[in-house]
Amino acid sequence: MRTNPVSAAGAAPRLAKPLTAVAAIAIAALALTGCTAPSPQTASGSPRTGGTLTYASGDAEPTCLDPHVGGNYPQALLSTQFLESLVSRDSDGEIVPWLAKSWTTSADGLTWEFTLAPDVTFTDGTPLDAAAVQANVAHLQDPETGSSTGYLALGKVVSTEAVSPDVVKFTLSEPDSALLESLSQPWLAIESPTALKRSQDDNCAAPVGTGPFVVTKWVKQNAVTLTRNDGYNSPPADATNTGPAYLDSITWRFIPESASRYAALQAGEVDVIDNAQPDTIVQAEKSGSLQHLDAPRPGASNRIELNSGKPPFDDVRVREAFIRSANVDDAVASLFQGTATRSYSALSSVEPLAVSEPKLFGYDQKAANALLDAAGWTERDADGYRVKDGARLSVQFPVSTNQSIPAEQSLFEQIQATAKQTGFEVVLEPMDLGSWYAALGAHEYNAVSAPYTKVGPDVLRILYHSSGIIPAPSGYFANNAQVNDPKLDALLTQAGQVSDPGERKTLETDAQNLILAGFYILPLYDQQNHFLLRSDVEGVRAMPTVSTPTFQGAWLNR
Amino acid sequence: MGINRVLITRVLVSLAGAIGVLWAVATLTFFAVRLIPGDPALALLGGPGSQASPEALALVRAENGLDQPLFIQYLMQLGRLATGDLGRSYALNQDVAQVILPQLVGTLTLAILSLAVAWAFSLTVTIWSTRGGRIAASIGSGLDVIAAALPHFWLATSLIIVFSLWLGVLPPISTGTPAGLVLPVLALAIPLAGFLSQIMRPALLTALESPFVLSARARGESEGGVRRLHAIRHAAVPAISLTGWAFGSLISGAVVVETIFARPGLGRTLLNAVTARDVPVVIGVVMIVAVAYILVTLATDAATRLVDPREAESGRAARS
Repeated sequence: MRTNPVSAAGAAPRLAKPLTAVAAIAIAALALTGCTAPSPQTASGSPRTGGTLTYASGDAEPTCLDPHVGGNYPQALLSTQFLESLVSRDSDGEIVPWLAKSWTTSADGLTWEFTLAPDVTFTDGTPLDAAAVQANVAHLQDPETGSSTGYLALGKVVSTEAVSPDVVKFTLSEPDSALLESLSQPWLAIESPTALKRSQDDNCAAPVGTGPFVVTKWVKQNAVTLTRNDGYNSPPADATNTGPAYLDSITWRFIPESASRYAALQAGEVDVIDNAQPDTIVQAEKSGSLQHLDAPRPGASNRIELNSGKPPFDDVRVREAFIRSANVDDAVASLFQGTATRSYSALSSVEPLAVSEPKLFGYDQKAANALLDAAGWTERDADGYRVKDGARLSVQFPVSTNQSIPAEQSLFEQIQATAKQTGFEVVLEPMDLGSWYAALGAHEYNAVSAPYTKVGPDVLRILYHSSGIIPAPSGYFANNAQVNDPKLDALLTQAGQVSDPGERKTLETDAQNLILAGFYILPLYDQQNHFLLRSDVEGVRAMPTVSTPTFQGAWLNR
Repeated sequence: MGINRVLITRVLVSLAGAIGVLWAVATLTFFAVRLIPGDPALALLGGPGSQASPEALALVRAENGLDQPLFIQYLMQLGRLATGDLGRSYALNQDVAQVILPQLVGTLTLAILSLAVAWAFSLTVTIWSTRGGRIAASIGSGLDVIAAALPHFWLATSLIIVFSLWLGVLPPISTGTPAGLVLPVLALAIPLAGFLSQIMRPALLTALESPFVLSARARGESEGGVRRLHAIRHAAVPAISLTGWAFGSLISGAVVVETIFARPGLGRTLLNAVTARDVPVVIGVVMIVAVAYILVTLATDAATRLVDPREAESGRAARS
């Protein structure tokens, strides 16, 4: 069900289930009175081995645990615990070694050689070698696998070669400045080639990797059991714990309802929850018995994309008028209660190359009215909406109830209310994920909010290059704003190919300035990704790649 | 002889009716799910919005017959169902029977326990409130109306707050233990008990004023005996007929309750399958529920005859 866009596209769709507002408020209010007094956070001593941690996910239960198949965020959350990638990223945004201890690229950028970490074996005993990496690339590129995210990320890889048992060579069709960022993602993790030879059903049930945990049991609709890999020796370069995990096991449950998930955490039935909602985050921060891990996802910011491919947003003045008439700041402050920071960028704040331009997105009704008058939307109908040539200034806005959490849906309603004052009729159309994609595929939208998770600024090329207007065979297209600017295309193509980091930065900056100044998007905030943990859970960190928590260094202080 | 023939005819009529119901259910479900927007082929490739390659999409469509016209797909589906084959899930890549069977026990346990608890509540409150005078009667009927009007999600959340967060005595989510079953059962049973009582109370009051109760009293039967042995049989008949409907409503309530308490079961399976446009699983779950509904209706018919022999007589008389 709900999975995400990422699904395919790496865009990981958000699966928060609709939570009844009444229930959420009631639970929050009662939690206030019912909670135990805050206890001071115990100082972390040295990590203690043992124990079982229970994780409760609000995302849909994956239908396949192998993130090569499809490739969405719920799969990434789980596979982070048992699969590993060739490279990772540190908190400064630098690519760091993981299963590959080093790499080189040719002067023309068309070949890459990765030297693998020594003495690493998969948990089925198969050694990690060049042939294993080759088998994974082949698996991702095989149509039978049904990979979406990984397949897309390897688009420029034409062949692989085992130079020696420890060295694997990738040959590309054109230079790819995003190759390392792509390879750092969990959807391109390296699995045991022996295990990949099993049937897809078997591999989906228990993929085999080199990670700190092993999938030992999966009872559908109930829980996945992960057990420590005692022979673990391959952490990413930035990990604090360099040996096996401290936890004996992890029980990974699926609790779709947000209020129940939080109640289970409060009652101590579970130790960690994801998809925490603003009201529960505020409660948790006051409680003293819970901790908050705020891990915004990389790639694009959450933003409203304005469809420039058809009226009324084919006129830049109307796009700017819409943006100027939306009072986002006040709405974010009241609805997200301080848990989300307003963004003025096309990229997530975790991306080092993100450009932020607050002055372009100020709320200014006077300016909005002047722009609409200039664009010829001068008359108003009986309901107060602007009209031109007999047509109402109407904005069709399909909202995915799977991806937009309740607070975000309320934010859209507030934007609807403030935009009405300048004469926009915003028609919010809540729908489930399947219907939502169908509406986008049929171009039945003027505005839309579509999250997209990917490591690195190359996400801009996917979202705003004019080639992204052409639908995939599935009808999916990523360029929802339908930006079609040859100058921008040239910048993005070049940015995807240059090898010099300084040059790449200049190109990505210029590209972002064009996107922001063209008023194609209304940035809202980073793609929210909040976790709540019981305060005796120590050593958890979010991977700086796609912000999935890793429990390799986690231990229970109890 | 005559009775046998009547019996055979009745069985045949019931069977034909049951098959007709199942066919209608399968047809309605198939078209309802397929006519809402969304491509089932994408469910297989990581969900809607998939950027799957053309090769992968073509493969998946051909494997699942999704490249055929909708009506042909419908006939294929019916053909499979006719042979008892529920087909293969698009999204889970598993036989539908394999998907549904492990979930069946959980939902049936929940539904049957809720039904039993609802009856127990309802009988207790009804009998108490019709003998306690006007105040008890007002309290009783007030409780019924409130209980029957409680939405499952609200009740479930309130139970979690009171019993898990305040009192800390019961787990807020299903734990696989009997304790984890208490709150989900209460969340389903309380509204149902309200419905049953609303039907039973007026019937009981009417029965208590009928001549046969007067004569029972005249024979010296105690007040409790009058209620438990005589009047309640009359009052229970309409409530028993309602039980078939109640079972259906319990399954729909299970969608909500299983989601809130994170309980494995058919309700959650159904919800996930609808979102993924996983037609075979949706039809499979709905068929299983329809079969269960038919069985429960047959059972309640039988129970009605048992409780009220007049039903059996009049039925027989009318048909012969």
